[in-house]
Amino acid sequence: MNYLELLTVAAPETIVVLTALAVLAVDLTSMRDVETRIRMIVGGLVASAGCAGGILWLLVNATTVDALNGMLVMNPVTQIVKICLLGLTIFTVLISLEAKFTNHVGEFLALLLLATAGMMFLVSAEDLLMIFIALEVTSLSLYILTAFNKRNIKSAEAALKYFLFGGMAAAFMLFGLSLIYGLTGATNLHAVAAALAGKGLDPLLLVAMVMTVMGFGFKVAAVPFHLWAPDAYEGAPTQSAAFIASGSKLASFFIFAKVMMIGFAGVEGSGAFRDFMVGWTPVLAVLAALSMLLGNLVAIVQSSVKRLLAYSAIAHAGYMLLGVLAHDKQAVVSVIYYAATYALATIGAFGVVSLVEEQTGSDRLSSFAGFCKRAPMAAFAMMIFLLSLAGIPPLAGFFGKFYLFAVALKSGAPQLGLLWLLILAIAMSAVSFYYYLKVLKAVYVQPEPAEQSRASVPQATQVILLVLAVVIIVLGCFPNLLVGPLEHALTPVSH
Amino acid sequence: MESWIVKNLWLIPALPLLAAGLSALLPRPFRKASATLAIGSMSGAFLLSVVAFVHALKNSGPDSAKEFFNFAWLQFASGDVGVLKLGWVLDPLTAVMLVMVTFVGTLIFIYSVGYMAHDENFTRFFTFLSLFAAAMLGIVIANNLLLLFMSWELVGLASYLLIGFWYHKPSAAAAAKKAFITTRIGDVFFLLGIVWLYHETGTLLFYDNGNGCLEQTALSKMVTHATVGGLAVSAAIGILIFIGAIGKSGQFPLHVWLPDAMEGPTPVSALIHAATMVAAGVFLVARTYPLFEVTLPGLAGDSAATVSTALQVVTWIGAITAFFAATIAVAQNDIKRILAYSTCSQLGYMMIGLGTGGVAVGMFHLITHAFFKALLFMGAGSVIHGCHDEQDIRKMGGIRNYMPATFLTYAVGMMALSGFPLFFSGFWSKDAILHAAHSWSVSHIPFYLGVAGAFLTAFYMTRQMALVFWGKYRGHERPAVATKTPQLLALKEEIEPHESPRVMTVPLILLAICTVGLSLIGTPAWPWFQDFLGSHHSEGFTKDTVQIIMISGLVFLLGVGLGVGFYGYVKRKTASEPDPLERLPLGMHTWFAKKYGIDELYELTVIRFNAWAARACAFLDEWVWGGVVAIVSYVTLAFAWLNRAIDEFVINLGFDRGCERVSRGGSLLSRLQEGRVQVYLRVLGGALVVLVLFLIWGGASERDADSNIAHVVADSRWHRRGWISESTTRATSCDSFQFSVARAGVGIMEIVRCIQRCAAICGARGLDSGVRRAVFPRSGRAGAVDGFAYEHSCAAGAFGFGKII
Repeated sequence: MNYLELLTVAAPETIVVLTALAVLAVDLTSMRDVETRIRMIVGGLVASAGCAGGILWLLVNATTVDALNGMLVMNPVTQIVKICLLGLTIFTVLISLEAKFTNHVGEFLALLLLATAGMMFLVSAEDLLMIFIALEVTSLSLYILTAFNKRNIKSAEAALKYFLFGGMAAAFMLFGLSLIYGLTGATNLHAVAAALAGKGLDPLLLVAMVMTVMGFGFKVAAVPFHLWAPDAYEGAPTQSAAFIASGSKLASFFIFAKVMMIGFAGVEGSGAFRDFMVGWTPVLAVLAALSMLLGNLVAIVQSSVKRLLAYSAIAHAGYMLLGVLAHDKQAVVSVIYYAATYALATIGAFGVVSLVEEQTGSDRLSSFAGFCKRAPMAAFAMMIFLLSLAGIPPLAGFFGKFYLFAVALKSGAPQLGLLWLLILAIAMSAVSFYYYLKVLKAVYVQPEPAEQSRASVPQATQVILLVLAVVIIVLGCFPNLLVGPLEHALTPVSH
Repeated sequence: MESWIVKNLWLIPALPLLAAGLSALLPRPFRKASATLAIGSMSGAFLLSVVAFVHALKNSGPDSAKEFFNFAWLQFASGDVGVLKLGWVLDPLTAVMLVMVTFVGTLIFIYSVGYMAHDENFTRFFTFLSLFAAAMLGIVIANNLLLLFMSWELVGLASYLLIGFWYHKPSAAAAAKKAFITTRIGDVFFLLGIVWLYHETGTLLFYDNGNGCLEQTALSKMVTHATVGGLAVSAAIGILIFIGAIGKSGQFPLHVWLPDAMEGPTPVSALIHAATMVAAGVFLVARTYPLFEVTLPGLAGDSAATVSTALQVVTWIGAITAFFAATIAVAQNDIKRILAYSTCSQLGYMMIGLGTGGVAVGMFHLITHAFFKALLFMGAGSVIHGCHDEQDIRKMGGIRNYMPATFLTYAVGMMALSGFPLFFSGFWSKDAILHAAHSWSVSHIPFYLGVAGAFLTAFYMTRQMALVFWGKYRGHERPAVATKTPQLLALKEEIEPHESPRVMTVPLILLAICTVGLSLIGTPAWPWFQDFLGSHHSEGFTKDTVQIIMISGLVFLLGVGLGVGFYGYVKRKTASEPDPLERLPLGMHTWFAKKYGIDELYELTVIRFNAWAARACAFLDEWVWGGVVAIVSYVTLAFAWLNRAIDEFVINLGFDRGCERVSRGGSLLSRLQEGRVQVYLRVLGGALVVLVLFLIWGGASERDADSNIAHVVADSRWHRRGWISESTTRATSCDSFQFSVARAGVGIMEIVRCIQRCAAICGARGLDSGVRRAVFPRSGRAGAVDGFAYEHSCAAGAFGFGKII
């Protein structure tokens, strides 16, 4: 395989990287003296166009390639996930158009795109080394994005915490991966699984497994590897937080599921109640249970909406781990659907938070009071996002939860081994209504404090949020739009 | 293969739905726009229906297949079984109903423009009306019982909204609730039937190339199974579905809501509670007729057994309602209530028709009834409009002189309803029903009840005509007309009835023409309608047919004659005179007038019990369950606070002392409100230890169960590596395992300690020197720190790993 062919296989990633360079070049060369808002709009349009180009390429050139022994694998599933990732990036760029936190427009957008490229590589990797490198590319961009609001000390603090925690988690993970290599002599996931088959569980493998889980657990913010998340979400610029919570989450969950289901196939064990067997599923079951418990309960007492969304993200990671636990074809479909719809709703919610922040200067619950009078469209969109996160039919979040729980229930059949986790998940979903409704109560019920006049809400952002809300409603009413292609994509090759 | 119209049949309900959505968004003053939208969409739907009708006409024939279009709506599990399909069907039944609903609907929409002209919520009215039309058309085209049920419920909702349209009147609000709740009782059974049907057949599609629930495979499976009391499953499901129809079509004993529903605006009564919605029950039975009809093939010898139990139930309920509602109608004084009871009664006829004669017989009466009953209701509305919202027929009289157009059209409707021989559609459709009932093999009683009902129909309609249109106007008794001052003359002008505007009378005339014209298509001589709808083959005018025609003609004459005798000759002078029927023996009139006390009976039994149960539930809810919920919520809150306390004070503060050394180095840390990053990293290390120990403990506990770990322990490879070298002399293999676990734990703790130390060094040094400057004034040099951390953590890892080995 020569380089030209390789570039064709990696064309979407190449397009995104080139777009990043283009955005930088345009912004740094010709727009130095222009108003920030205009620069943001021009740069944002270029970036969105690049992502759209990537989507178009993926839609037109559907290929199934395994380049360089698992380093870069293209198949219908990765294609769908990449399209989702590019879509999420576009939405993140669009809600950033009115952002005022930085003058370094080009750098901000370029980093977003580079992170996206990293995620795309991550999604198509089936080799431990490549996975680690892609993970680091993504993470490094995200650290800087977190620190991007240089005028705010909390942003720097958040980034430092995120970075230190991330570095440590990556070290553990690399350690774990090296142990795996030591045990199996392979880095390709299928080869790893083949080498592990029949060997049984030795303690070294257990340590390696736990360390690998830690690395991914950090990326998806599962308890107890979640500690960075509330601080990072709260301190980071809201748009960066939206991106970390959406695109990064989708990509991480996808690769997490892939590594566990392919690489550790055969050492699943069982997390069934009173039927416990050593393997990776009991570890994930513990993480899932802890995430759902802690995320939901701590979210109740938050007064900062960004922190609240962070804890809600932790809780959702717990739900999604349920899907990974089920480890079959349906589980992959349900996890991707859930992660994608969750990401959409989260981007939207963060978008609304950024509007409120621009207006009032804070993301406290009290700043949301009377928001429906100030920006009725955005308030409506917020309602859709939060209700979707809470899982109310007919929004996308409901069907996501429904599929996920159904898959988890079925995987334990006929003894219904995962029932204990399901009961916990359903009870905790009920708890989550409380804090989502708390935000909505502030938006819709509480009267606006009669204070100084508010800055006006940008109409363009409101329209984008409304579009997001419509996407969520449509995906909820016609889940087959996403589930159908996924089912189809997974049918020929069943892992 | 599928033609355009079959594929796009959904456009017909979609048009009014769109109109409803749009006019819901219109502000109140946009009256014209909303009326235009509604009427335009309805006319569009009518044109499409005509296209569909023509298509069905071309396609009809004895061996034509059902045309349908199905699509996957929701995938809830993998494979074909997990697909929920919806769809629509175009067959003669659909086509006929479509044309009827859209045509009558359009006329009533136009009529409403005049009737509602003075109402301030004009736009809301048309929104609801369009919503209703959309839902009704949805019922008609549905090829899936679930889709039908959804539309069915939407129709119920629209009916509720429209009955309670004047919600400021307490009686209207109560009537709306009554209608909704009463029909809901039927709907519960309907839903049970749907669920059972799905359980039996695995599909809710009516027709699906042989896989539908109304097709041969499913039916023959269901009819062979028997359930409680030897009832075939198909019949049991049919009866459950029929209970839904009882609720919607105002059949005994769930008829109580229909007369009360007359509190709604009159166009609503005409459209929903006469022509379309109440007929939906009949349509439902007609749609699922194969389910009702099917019997075991082996029992052909016994004549009674060839009629399925479900159809017998349909017939009996219909016959009872037909007679019983007619007796009540005799003694009512409200012009709309008379018509309402008459509707119940006529729906009963349709049920008899379905039960004894088949789809075509029942549906023919449904169609003709829709036209003449809509005509009668709109005529009544015109009368009410003209008499300044007076509905008591005792206070009317002589109106034919004031409102000639209304009078003539009303007379046509009355003739059709009473069954004036030969020229009116109502006669032929009722005749077909009586004929079918006469030749029913099970019993003759439904036939006699039907004949008695027909007689009563002629009688009460004559009574109504006489009281409303003949005699002298009794509406202005209160002011003395003797003193003719100018003011009183003006007042008289105001209180005299007046003819309604053109927009109301033209639809009346059109409907009257149809009422007469429809009689041409269903006579025994040329039963085109029956042929179109199914396999019904009439034998023309036989002796039997003529006999029935004679009987119903006689019954009509008898009823009209008695009516004229009682009310035509003896003219009523004042509104408060007693009714001549009050002289009937046994207090029968009181029974009729009080509707047999069924409302009171329900009040005393069902409603009182329900209120008692509601109070009991409220008590339970407030004190028992409420208490539990409150406790749970407090416990949850307590947990949340505990969690937060642990997160903030124990986890974050508990390690304070350990961090003091580091905090000396960094003034940054003092600025952190909460969440020290060192603690985070420590938790990371702790988690590793706990999780690994968790797994090893789990493995150890199942060692006896021949697990992999046990093999590992026995494996000499580990001994060779010297993992448990110190202990080999004094440990059995079991002990040595535990010992090795302990060693592993110590090794891991070692790793963690190193990592912690490394993190501390990293934090302290980094904060002291580079990071603070790098992060705060200008960010972006994080890369340097990254390398630093890596170097240390990797070194630490290597160190720990070395220790284990």
